[in-house]
Amino acid sequence: MMNISKTLLRRGLPQANITSNILLSTATIDDKIEIPKRIPRGPTDILRALESTVGRDPTAAHYKYHDDPYLIPLSSSGKRIFAMAQEAGRKAAHWVRQEHADLFQHREADPVIEAFVPPMVYTEESEVAVADLEKLIEMRQVVDSAVVYRVLKEKNVEVAQELEQGLLELLCYQNCEDGVSEEFVEERWFRQASKGKEFVKKTWKDGDLAEQIFSKMTPKTPESYCAIIQGMSKYRQMDSAVQLFEEAQKSNIPLNTNTYNSLIQSVNMIKENFDMRWSLLADFLTQMKNSNLKPNLGTLNAILYALSFMGNPKRAKEYVLQTLAEFKNLGIEPSLGSWYYVILTFCKERGPVSTILHDIINHLEDKEHQIRDLKDTHFFVTAMEMARHHLNDVALARRIDKLLNYGDNYNLIGDSYKESVYFRHYFALLCDNLPLEEFMNDVYFKLVPHIYVPEVGIMAEVLNQVDVNGAVEYIPKLWSDLIVFDQSHRENLVDCILNTMVNNEQLVTPELTESFAKIAWDIYSRSINEEEGRVHRLNLTGDLLGKILILLVRQKDFEKACKVMDRLDKNQQTIAGVPKIEALALFVDLCIEEKVPSRGIDCIQYCTDCGFPEANSLAVRLHKELNLDEVFLERLTKVVGDVFSTS
Amino acid sequence: MSRIYLITHLPNNIKNTFHNVRHRTLQKVSLCTSSSSSSDDDTKLQKKVEEKKKSKEALDKLNKLLLTMTEDDVSSKTKLNLAQPTNKRQKKLREKQDFKESKATPTETLVNAANNVAESIGGDVKQTQSELLMKLLNVANGDATVNTNLKDLVKGMKIDQESAQGAGLSKAQQVRQILQEQSKAPRRKGDMAKPRSKSAKSPKRDVVVEKISLFGSEPLGIFSPNQNDLTEGVVNKTWNHLYDKDLKLAVTHPPSNYFQQMILWTEQKKIWKFPIDNEQGLEEEKKVYFTDHVFLEKHLEPWCPLKGPIRHFMELVCVGLSKNPYLTVEAKKEHVLWFREYFKDKLELLQETGAIQETDLGKLHADQKQSEH
Repeated sequence: MMNISKTLLRRGLPQANITSNILLSTATIDDKIEIPKRIPRGPTDILRALESTVGRDPTAAHYKYHDDPYLIPLSSSGKRIFAMAQEAGRKAAHWVRQEHADLFQHREADPVIEAFVPPMVYTEESEVAVADLEKLIEMRQVVDSAVVYRVLKEKNVEVAQELEQGLLELLCYQNCEDGVSEEFVEERWFRQASKGKEFVKKTWKDGDLAEQIFSKMTPKTPESYCAIIQGMSKYRQMDSAVQLFEEAQKSNIPLNTNTYNSLIQSVNMIKENFDMRWSLLADFLTQMKNSNLKPNLGTLNAILYALSFMGNPKRAKEYVLQTLAEFKNLGIEPSLGSWYYVILTFCKERGPVSTILHDIINHLEDKEHQIRDLKDTHFFVTAMEMARHHLNDVALARRIDKLLNYGDNYNLIGDSYKESVYFRHYFALLCDNLPLEEFMNDVYFKLVPHIYVPEVGIMAEVLNQVDVNGAVEYIPKLWSDLIVFDQSHRENLVDCILNTMVNNEQLVTPELTESFAKIAWDIYSRSINEEEGRVHRLNLTGDLLGKILILLVRQKDFEKACKVMDRLDKNQQTIAGVPKIEALALFVDLCIEEKVPSRGIDCIQYCTDCGFPEANSLAVRLHKELNLDEVFLERLTKVVGDVFSTS
Repeated sequence: MSRIYLITHLPNNIKNTFHNVRHRTLQKVSLCTSSSSSSDDDTKLQKKVEEKKKSKEALDKLNKLLLTMTEDDVSSKTKLNLAQPTNKRQKKLREKQDFKESKATPTETLVNAANNVAESIGGDVKQTQSELLMKLLNVANGDATVNTNLKDLVKGMKIDQESAQGAGLSKAQQVRQILQEQSKAPRRKGDMAKPRSKSAKSPKRDVVVEKISLFGSEPLGIFSPNQNDLTEGVVNKTWNHLYDKDLKLAVTHPPSNYFQQMILWTEQKKIWKFPIDNEQGLEEEKKVYFTDHVFLEKHLEPWCPLKGPIRHFMELVCVGLSKNPYLTVEAKKEHVLWFREYFKDKLELLQETGAIQETDLGKLHADQKQSEH
């Protein structure tokens, strides 16, 4: 096109012709305008797009806390309390609305916001219709739907088979009780999953409404059998579940894949040893195949779950690999939950070291993962735990962390407990293996305190590392962190910090000496401060007091050192242990410098009381340096005996 | 005193004690046998009882010895804390001694010695041997292996002694540090029980990364891969619905920014959906065309007279209803039909007052007849 225009210009044709020629040439090229198809957008798509531009700011507290320096919690218990307090406020609002429902009848919004309307209360006398039952099942209100169902039955209202089936399924899923409401996100977040990996406690309610409905149901449809068996397996009522299963088999009632999955999961409860368990599992699978049922992800996860604690680790590992291959052939991609079980099977505590984690991470890297099974949330925690304890591998841990932060994968961290455990393992692993400066700058200062608050054990490891490396410049910051995290009363941490400060005398600058003295004084005053009436109070032993004394003396802070000495002296009965002789010697030196011999004599008195043989040499030195007059000399002689005649 | 020193000497001590014990038992046995000719049963029993007693005594002695050993360590430890300046000398002495004494490694001699002792005691050889070894190892090691306390070894070293330690940590140094560590161990254990022992179990071993092919093994062979006609069986709708809800809840965290909070609220139907659509919530109304709202005269057709006050009135009613945006079409139709019923009831009155003419009446009657049929 450009060539044409140039030639036209050279020929000197008028403008109009040129433009018309250009237009003609362009028109022939694009005569079809393609309007792209409209992409249907969901109601939250715009918000999600905006949200993806906002990352996590590690220097700021979590969004749920008020952005006010006084109201930002920095200790782990503080965070929990603040968040739960907010939720408690929400619950209080719910309660008020329920109590005074008559005050909340206005419907200002159009369309009406269902969530703000006071909830209906269903009692024995309520006028209910079948539609109510439907709505309640949809809203997952178990207790209310049970009440409504009973009322309907009493009034002999006809309830459709499908609706009854729905009710049965709801009851089986929830074990006839309500769960935590969906609104209370914080409660779910902080709910410490106290059930262990293999909780084998039976919690199914025998004889409750679910079983009643099932027994009254005629005819017994396959769906109802499936529902009741699944419910019983979920809540570990295995005897009845197996019995019903056999009943269904006899009556040739076809079951579904999920029912078989739930039975496979509970195989370890039904049988006792590895061979029997595995044969039962294989039985279930063959029955599934004979009933022409298609296995799904649930099947894979159920098998892996059962294998992870079936016993006989070597054979279990073989079966795990075989299962993975089998389901790969069926085209079912394992979810994170499956990998979680694989890790459990291969990386047992008391077993040989297995590097399967490397292969798993290779497989999962750089991909965004969705939640497909409830156990997916356990993956990251366990992977980090294995990287730390089992393999002790920093590069692997870094890869796991990268995977966690890729895209939306952070959602799969589970709840707050799992998050804290994950970071605990990550921290400990890096603390042990990275050079201290890198650790402090890249990891500690970034994650602490807003993303993760280290526990006592982890702080102890960090302090250890600081001590080993002699990196005393971090001590003031670490001490203030200890105060903020509410860990300043822990004896082992205080001991560690004092040791570090005392032992690394050569490395300190004058500013550091001053700050060390301040820290020591802080420790001291915290321990004697009785006003707050706290449960945890640090009881300083003689040794610790001695170290505090050393630090104060190095700073030449005579007044405070005297106070500490007084405390040592006066509370000899209540204080456990005695300080090291170096501490006392340094104190005496300071007394000599300050020319206060009375204090020195008191200290030497204390030394002799404790039974230090060096008291004599201290007394001699005191006399030599200060040239004591008669009164003092007499006192001193009373304390140590006559050592001055020899000098 | 160095641990190693004591260990290397221990077997001899134990050996001596047990040789003594053994001699004594043998003597007693010989005495018994000599007198056994006289009274068989009694002496045999006596013999057995005495033997048992002797072995018990032997065990007691062994236990005492082990206890004294541990006590020794404690006292030697405290001395160590103060006597640090004499490190080099003691260390060199010990190095020489170590080299002289042990040609075989200390552990091997230990095991052999324990074996011999166990055999000489008689009874359950393996158990006694393992008990002995356990006791020794307990005292020596505590909770940490030598390797992982590198940290603590390094900590304990003062900087001016670096040249001495730099030459390589002798076993003596390591053991001393372990003993020092033991004194601190009880205090720390409470707080760091799990992480500490776990880190002890995972020393810096060189883990060889062997690639395990995740999907490469032979399949179980239960399911055949290419069957596409299988289903998952009967569907539990409510169950699946509840499970999906649970899955979603598992990934719902407290919102970490305002956008996430708005997303949550939108899903809970508390706020408008983006892009804002004025007619959100009015989906039912969209299905009804606007003419149904506006042109309501068609409901008047069958029954309403064409002229007269009733018609006027009903037309006004229709106009009013057509301008009413708050009622559905059905409601409006209901209104109009209500009027029809009402006028039907009041037919007599209307006729008397003359509101209805005869001609119009026909329609009403016709309608009545129709409704009767």
